[in-house]
Amino acid sequence: MKNSGVFRSRGVSWLMHKLCFTFGGLLAAASAFGGTKPFDDADYTISATLSSPMNTIAGLTEWAKSINHVYGITSIILVLVFFAVSLPLIYAIYKFRVGDDEDLINKKPPKQVHGNVLLEFAWTIIPVVLLLFIAIPTWEGIFDRPTSPPEGALKVKVIGHQWWWEFQYPDLGITTANEVHLPEDTPIFFELTSADVIHSFWIPQFGGKKDVLPGDDAINNMFFTTPKLANPEKRGGEYYQGQCVELCGLSHALMRFEAVLHSKDEFDSWAKVHNQAPVIASDLEKKGELLFAQCQVCHTISGTPSEELEKQMLAMDPPAPKQGPNLTSFGDRRTLGAGTRKNTYENFAQWVRDPQSIKPGATMTAFNMSEDDMQAIAAYLRFSTAKNY
Amino acid sequence: MAKNLPKTGIVSWLTTVDHKRIGIMYGVTALFFLLFGGAEAIFMRTQLAIPNNSFLDAGTFNGLVTLHGTTMIFLFVMPLSAGFFNYLTPLMIGAPDVAFPRMNALSYWIFLFGGLLLNFSFVVGLLPDGGWFNYANLTGPKYSPTHAIDFWVLGVQVVGLASLIAAINFFVTIMNMRCKGMTLLKMPIFIWTTLVTQVLLILALPVITVALMMMTFDRSFGTGFFDPGAGGQVIMWQHLFWIFGHPEVYILILPAMGIVSEILPTFSRKPLFGYSVMVYSSCAIGFLGFAVWAHHMFTTGLGPWAQALFSAATMLIAVPTGVKIFNWVSTLWGGHIRFTTPMLFALSFIAMFTLGGLSGIMHSSPPIDYQHQDTYFVVAHFHYVLYGGAVMALFGGIFYWFPKVTGRFMDETMGKLQFWLYMIGFNLTFFPMHFLGLQGMPRRIFTYASDQGWNLWNLMSSAGAYITAAGGVLFFINIFYSIKFGKKAPHDCWDGRTLEWTLSSPPPEYNFAVDPEVKALDDWWLRKWDKQGKRLHPDVQPEVDPSTKHLPNPSFWPMVLALGILLLACGPFFDAKGIALSVVGVVVMLIATYGWSFEEA
Repeated sequence: MKNSGVFRSRGVSWLMHKLCFTFGGLLAAASAFGGTKPFDDADYTISATLSSPMNTIAGLTEWAKSINHVYGITSIILVLVFFAVSLPLIYAIYKFRVGDDEDLINKKPPKQVHGNVLLEFAWTIIPVVLLLFIAIPTWEGIFDRPTSPPEGALKVKVIGHQWWWEFQYPDLGITTANEVHLPEDTPIFFELTSADVIHSFWIPQFGGKKDVLPGDDAINNMFFTTPKLANPEKRGGEYYQGQCVELCGLSHALMRFEAVLHSKDEFDSWAKVHNQAPVIASDLEKKGELLFAQCQVCHTISGTPSEELEKQMLAMDPPAPKQGPNLTSFGDRRTLGAGTRKNTYENFAQWVRDPQSIKPGATMTAFNMSEDDMQAIAAYLRFSTAKNY
Repeated sequence: MAKNLPKTGIVSWLTTVDHKRIGIMYGVTALFFLLFGGAEAIFMRTQLAIPNNSFLDAGTFNGLVTLHGTTMIFLFVMPLSAGFFNYLTPLMIGAPDVAFPRMNALSYWIFLFGGLLLNFSFVVGLLPDGGWFNYANLTGPKYSPTHAIDFWVLGVQVVGLASLIAAINFFVTIMNMRCKGMTLLKMPIFIWTTLVTQVLLILALPVITVALMMMTFDRSFGTGFFDPGAGGQVIMWQHLFWIFGHPEVYILILPAMGIVSEILPTFSRKPLFGYSVMVYSSCAIGFLGFAVWAHHMFTTGLGPWAQALFSAATMLIAVPTGVKIFNWVSTLWGGHIRFTTPMLFALSFIAMFTLGGLSGIMHSSPPIDYQHQDTYFVVAHFHYVLYGGAVMALFGGIFYWFPKVTGRFMDETMGKLQFWLYMIGFNLTFFPMHFLGLQGMPRRIFTYASDQGWNLWNLMSSAGAYITAAGGVLFFINIFYSIKFGKKAPHDCWDGRTLEWTLSSPPPEYNFAVDPEVKALDDWWLRKWDKQGKRLHPDVQPEVDPSTKHLPNPSFWPMVLALGILLLACGPFFDAKGIALSVVGVVVMLIATYGWSFEEA
């Protein structure tokens, strides 16, 4: 832990920072009970910033902006109501207080007011009127939502798994996991379903959440148009964080994902190259390709024998879909373990050797392989599967 | 055998059917479980104080999330309210006891055994981890194969039975046993909120009972009500749970509203402003409470019309609730306000409950809820309502009626210190959670990454939790200190308004030596003043030889019957062999019912 220098001027905030810092240090000491740290992210800083990759009030899509609109109106009304209650309350408490030493047993009681029809009528009617100002934009917000996919929408099937996300593009023949690539300024049709328990799909900056339910008769939809890129010059996409928000078992907290927004051209070239077979550029990667044979019962990479195996497994009765995420584009992913760790060699090796230390309850088998084998399989998955687009 | 049972000592408590003793037992047991619920909260806040913490592992955290919510609702707030119902209902309506004294004892013992069954999960190390809402199908046999979830399902089932029995008892008591002259609109407001609460319990609990039974069948007997693989539906559990779960919210808050509505007039020396509107508001809240359950499910894929109507119904609840808040403020207006500890808690209730109610209106709007659902904003909201609201009011109630129950005041200095520790700690804990929610922090996550912008708020929140815990410790010290050394309390120790203040502190076993008669609301207060505002000194209730009063006989059978129910509920923990245990439970129940029926009451 180190001081990030978020607070530059000394003052109340500096003092608060120091206090929190000390307190945090004590807690960090208290937390040293061993155990695992799921995330590998940056140093700990106590920043008072209101920004967050999961911010709900920085909507970028039309949908998210319309939600913020309702939220804004509602907040203003409710803050006014809060003052309309609390100011008279504070005034009454202050104005009508009596001292502890006063003899209230024999003091003449105050005027015994039992009610006031006019007043009570007023504070029944005024809230109704105020509520209408909230209700009307609310109903607009409900009924303005499309109930069927917009024309020309890109369909993405979202499948929730304990504890990772599968994304299928049925029209493009692409299957990927934990990173959903989307073109900018395009209507999107998410079809939400779950392979096991209830999850909830949410990219806060793109709009609200929707539950991801198991069962063929419980498929939910989500429609919105992606925003334009903030920086159209930038290649490689802009990343927006999402996370599961319905308690879905042990590692619910570790079920994150990212939406990657591309220019339309870039998205098209991503879609074109996505399913290309891995390019083997070295002996190490060649060795890794052979080692991958033991992974293919659960994982698929397009253009390799694992793809054929998946077809066979799905043709069985009943179908036996693979248990693990599709790794066709693993080399392009920023993270592993459903947005838990950065996609580095150290994290990769830890994940393969001891997945439980990163994600408790994960069904991934632990492979205790030699350092040489680990480097080979890592080279294959992290470099051979990377695509140029 | 009943007649020979002792009047004092441990056996007298095990066999008592006196509503006052049962009320005390309810209260003490609820405070015992508060220690569990509070410790669970402190453990969670310690884990969440800093990101990426490993103080607790994921499984333990999910277990504590589940048990904290379940304990605070079913084993703390509900039974503490039941303690107030028990102790106060007969005293406030001028009755010798409740309508069914042995059933009253039965409900206590069932509640106790159910609470112990739920917390037995700690002993065997299998914490139920499906959340307090226990959503299917995560909690079905496939995804929760151990018996952990059974502790929740069967524990809550047993506890719910206790509430149902008690609810029928109080409903009948209030309807049939009011003293002469006490028409419905002359009942103290607390009795009114109690009555509405019992109606809610009677209508809502059967729903959760059925849902839990279906869940038990899914888990133990291979049915598939909630298993999509077997043609069931996961959403059905949510509907059933929330048809119970939302009225449950009003079951928690209405008694607190009643308590506040008793405390404010006493310490303002004014009648409750708009009494009859307060009564109608309570009824309206109770009625509307059954028409809003799906607002917990706005993100499950409800159609637009369902969303629009459930959101409109939810917003409507703000109207009677708002009326109540304005009436409380008007009760204070022009009064003589005394800052006693119960008054401080009651005043803070108004402010905190208002804040929680307003953020609740935000969630009643489905578009806003799409963003807020399952984030910390919701955690902030319901803690403001249930903790800043219900729990603060219940603490006020404890300080208010403690002298009546024990004959001694609670220490005011410690009480006020506790109040401020609670107010500061509570707001420090829960106000930052609004920001966390707006920054998208999901609920029920055992840890979070450090680059999410959530660090400061979480740290503040945890600091607040420790401050509150200090207040909690002080409260228990105060209770033990005051029972022994507190200032002695006379009959009418707060210059009160209702019938319980005509009795000695503590009241005699038979309650009223002379059958009371009331002419108006706040009858006791009115008798203390003549038309010119001069103090009169009306007679308090005299004391007579208890043997001249007929009292219901103590009985062992309620406890035995409750034990049978516990054994029945323990069966599913032993899989196939457990059937034998359940059968033993049923036999015990039958024997107890037989003994009960032929015992001289």
